[in-house]
Amino acid sequence: MEISSASNLCLHLISCAFQRCRLSLQLCRISAVLKSLSPSILQISISDTGIGSCLEEFQDLNCSSIIAAEFWDGILSVKTTAICDDEIYHYHLNLRKNISSSRTLTRLPSNPKNGLKFSGTEVYLSISESIDVLVSEINHFFQKIMILNIPNIAIEVVTEREDIPGSRCENVFLANKSNPGPLSTSNVECLKSGLEDYVSRHGNSLTQKCNTCFATSERLKVGSGIACSTENHKSSGLMMEVVVIISELESKCPCFRECSSKTEVLYFKDFTPCSISHSTLNVLSTIDWQSYGLTLENVVDQGVCVLEWGDSPSHSQIDMVLHCYNKQYPMHKTQPEQHLIKKAFTAALNNLKETHPGILRSAHALKICSHAPDLARSIAGLILSSNDPDFQGECFSLLGLESREIGANAVEDCIQEKIVSVIEMNDRKPRQRNVVAPSLFEDDCDHDSNYQDKEYEEGEDEFLYLD
Amino acid sequence: MKFFTDREICYADILPPSEVRARIEVAVLNFLKILTCADPAISDLLLINRKSSNRRVSQGLLTDDDTWIFLSRSFCKRSLMRANAAKAFIRVWKVMEMCFKILLQEKRVTQRELFYKLLCVSPDCFSSQLQVNRTIQDVVSLLRCSRFSLGIMASSRGIVAGRLLVQEPEKEMVDCSECGSSGYAISGDLNLLDRLVMKTDARYIIIVEKHAIFQRLAEDRVFNHIPTILITARGYPDIATRFLLHRMSRTFPELPIMALVDWNPAGLAILCTFKFGSIGMGLEAYRYACNVKWLGLRGDDLQLIPEESFVSLKPRDLQIAKSLMSSETLQEKHREELALMVQSGKRAELEALYFHGYDYLGKYIAKKIVQANYI
Repeated sequence: MEISSASNLCLHLISCAFQRCRLSLQLCRISAVLKSLSPSILQISISDTGIGSCLEEFQDLNCSSIIAAEFWDGILSVKTTAICDDEIYHYHLNLRKNISSSRTLTRLPSNPKNGLKFSGTEVYLSISESIDVLVSEINHFFQKIMILNIPNIAIEVVTEREDIPGSRCENVFLANKSNPGPLSTSNVECLKSGLEDYVSRHGNSLTQKCNTCFATSERLKVGSGIACSTENHKSSGLMMEVVVIISELESKCPCFRECSSKTEVLYFKDFTPCSISHSTLNVLSTIDWQSYGLTLENVVDQGVCVLEWGDSPSHSQIDMVLHCYNKQYPMHKTQPEQHLIKKAFTAALNNLKETHPGILRSAHALKICSHAPDLARSIAGLILSSNDPDFQGECFSLLGLESREIGANAVEDCIQEKIVSVIEMNDRKPRQRNVVAPSLFEDDCDHDSNYQDKEYEEGEDEFLYLD
Repeated sequence: MKFFTDREICYADILPPSEVRARIEVAVLNFLKILTCADPAISDLLLINRKSSNRRVSQGLLTDDDTWIFLSRSFCKRSLMRANAAKAFIRVWKVMEMCFKILLQEKRVTQRELFYKLLCVSPDCFSSQLQVNRTIQDVVSLLRCSRFSLGIMASSRGIVAGRLLVQEPEKEMVDCSECGSSGYAISGDLNLLDRLVMKTDARYIIIVEKHAIFQRLAEDRVFNHIPTILITARGYPDIATRFLLHRMSRTFPELPIMALVDWNPAGLAILCTFKFGSIGMGLEAYRYACNVKWLGLRGDDLQLIPEESFVSLKPRDLQIAKSLMSSETLQEKHREELALMVQSGKRAELEALYFHGYDYLGKYIAKKIVQANYI
């Protein structure tokens, strides 16, 4: 793995700590302590109470550029212990050399655990970086990670400037501040509530939920989808999780974003926020957005991935997050699989459609729905103008209406609602399956009759008859 | 004698209003049942195909005289689920609703009146008379009842003149030979036409294609020289005129019916419509086919016409000719005449005979009839 800056090195080490805590399934803590010894020297300690490290995650780092530029001396001091270990192991890793075989791993004396059962890791290093720059990067990183909303991890960032007494500062990040779920909640459920929280705070611009826009939870419509590689597949254990949220914003909210016709696709790979790859971007443009009533105009890669929509309703905002990860540890390089990404996105969009009738209607369904009022009016008109009470009674009973509630509007609304629900139900079905509706007078269609499944084409008459 | 499979024929019944309303109510109930069942759907409308591909011919076994076309069991559908054609689906329901209300009020309307009513109530759905007419035919196809049963009166263009006495129920007897050149107007009310009492001493019935020719013949009282009944639809045959002609043919079966048309494919097409029926009204009008013979203008009359009166056939004429040629009902002799028309590339109107004087037409007709020169 290529490390391009000292900050990135720290973030990578924090990310590894995060993985170890996630896999622990117990309540864990990550502490990042930053001490500036002088304006440009930082002593960093990253400790966690997750599962013990197997050191592989440190050994394939390529830090030649930062070592050459003297931002780091290449030395990592690592203390780690697994729950079943009797000792706390201590290592010095020297990553100065580029080739892993010539890298040195020095084992230092271990500490006994005296029968206590715990696990964790501590990593020490010194880098040349401004504390403010690093703190800002780390905070930003953790804010993003909060979207994953992993419930069992508490994060603490401590900063201290040695030359300024009393400058010790602590910042704590806790998942699930507003809606704590049980520790056993699946990753995708955590991701859902994490994104909900992010969207309701207008993407980290607020510390609390915006009450102007999201006083009620109905303003947020959430859908999620997952796709995973099969057992026998070469990259088994691969998981793709997608959450899509459609929110209705209030124009009087000061945070009302004018550009609601854009969606930033948040991307996580192996529980780390990162920028989306080109191949993944390409997959996004192959999704059949039209069948959800969305027109994708452009996919922009400006470091973050932005989808630009045409024709979106002005008060609606779409937010999306994609998380690709490998369930196994240690993490092999996760290569997101294109078909799985598409599958996960489609599953999330379909989930949204199913749980919230009326949204993401395809252009086709919207067009048909526009005729529903006319059809309902006609049918209602036929029922109500009849002079046969038995016929009317049977119609009302089919519609589930009590005779005392019969006003013209009630009948019409009832029929329209049922028509729209059929249209939406068909809209949720995969396109390939032809929806074959029964005909009005079934007995007429003999099986041996010449049934043409064609639309009736006008203009084939021999003459223009006006009789 | 005729042989045909009853199952093949599709027809529109002539039904009393209560029966039509009942069919519409069944349609609504079926629609609601399908909409509210466990696996709900919006039912499609299955219509009998009104295209030449669904046209069948009933051929008289012994003679050609009893041939008529009908529509068979080929279906097309209108569906709400096809976004581009959803409006056509809605239109069918709108017309059904309107007819249902009209029948309840025990009224009758013309297609024109229906168009204006629909335009008021559902302006987004209907944009032209033609669209309304086609939708009416859709309803006829769907419910299998005649247009007249739906409460829609045909506005008739037809007129009759000549040796015919006609009495409408509870009215005075009308002598069609005393109606002048404007003749007796044929009502669009098929019920009324069905109850007309008719008497004649004519020996022939002549269908005249054009109004101007009809007027000339009526004014000259040609029907007194040769005892005839003159009838015209003033162009393409409307159903009321065909209905009355058919009634006449049944009431006076000994009277041969012959047609006087221009020498062009359109003229022959009009003759064929009276003779066999049409696809457009195929579901109900198959009943009104009559045995019509071709009096004139024909190929052997062309020598009577000056060269200058001939005009080139237009593309539309050729289209009609092609369509007629491909029809298996066309008689051999008519086919030959048509081939001659196409070959010569020319057409001529009856008025060309006025070259010989305004009274020539009557003489021409008389001569041909006496010589039994009709095919």
